[in-house]
Amino acid sequence: SEMTKDMLPGPYPRTPEERAAAAKKYNMRVEDYQPYPDDGFGYGDYPMLPNKSHHERDPWYQWDQPDMRHNWGEPIHWDFDMYIRNRVDTSPTVVPWHIMRKHFLIFLSTMLIMFGLGEIYPSYRPVGPKQYPFNDLYLERGGDPSKEPPVVTHYEI
Amino acid sequence: MAAGPPPSAAQRYRPNAFVSLPAELDPDTYDASPEKRRAEAERLAIRARLKRQYQLQINNPNPPAVIENPALHRWVYARTHNVYPTFRPTPKTSFLGAVCAIGPLLFWMAVFKMDRDRKEKLIKEGKYERPFSVF
Repeated sequence: SEMTKDMLPGPYPRTPEERAAAAKKYNMRVEDYQPYPDDGFGYGDYPMLPNKSHHERDPWYQWDQPDMRHNWGEPIHWDFDMYIRNRVDTSPTVVPWHIMRKHFLIFLSTMLIMFGLGEIYPSYRPVGPKQYPFNDLYLERGGDPSKEPPVVTHYEI
Repeated sequence: MAAGPPPSAAQRYRPNAFVSLPAELDPDTYDASPEKRRAEAERLAIRARLKRQYQLQINNPNPPAVIENPALHRWVYARTHNVYPTFRPTPKTSFLGAVCAIGPLLFWMAVFKMDRDRKEKLIKEGKYERPFSVF
């Protein structure tokens, strides 16, 4: 593209003049411009915008790009491709997050504990070994037809 | 002493990394001080200027082939070309690099080695049953 070097992102701004120049470059107010902390992670002077997904942007406003809910020239969030409307949604929930998390963990732990207890202490109706007819299926299991099969009685009278 | 009425849903709400605070519960929206209004006016001025530039390009009778968005170029450049020059080895980045890059390598090396040794021991003792044996 035909953008000059000073229009592209650069290193972390150190002096207030650099900050003002960076804010102007990104089309932001100097007071709004807040770069990522200089931890060496590679953000440079890119602005840190609020982590709000595009689901939260006004659906009725006349955006320049309605599908992206984004205006031409507006600074784009670092994680913009995560916050599009097909992906992560950070809209406020009806039930607060900590209450949802609490209810989910209570349910999950109760179910897991009960399943675990059921494995350790199984409980079922009394059962006995299975009884097969024809002398425990002597011929079907490959017994010799010429010999007398051993007599198996499963009853008592 | 009575406990008082239970907290309302609005008071219970707590934003975090996954959900944000709605504008209705944010006390910032109800602050109509002159500083805030001037800030909003300045933001609107910037937005209007950008909108005007964009509308001039869109409604041009001889429009250019592609209307480029400098904000998009800056975003792409920042995520691709600007990471290596601005990267700096700090204790935090070195630790994260070790955990994410070297950690899994060592972990899987150990897992495979231990699994192989266990199988070798069973085979030597004669206890291992070959699962796909053709014999």
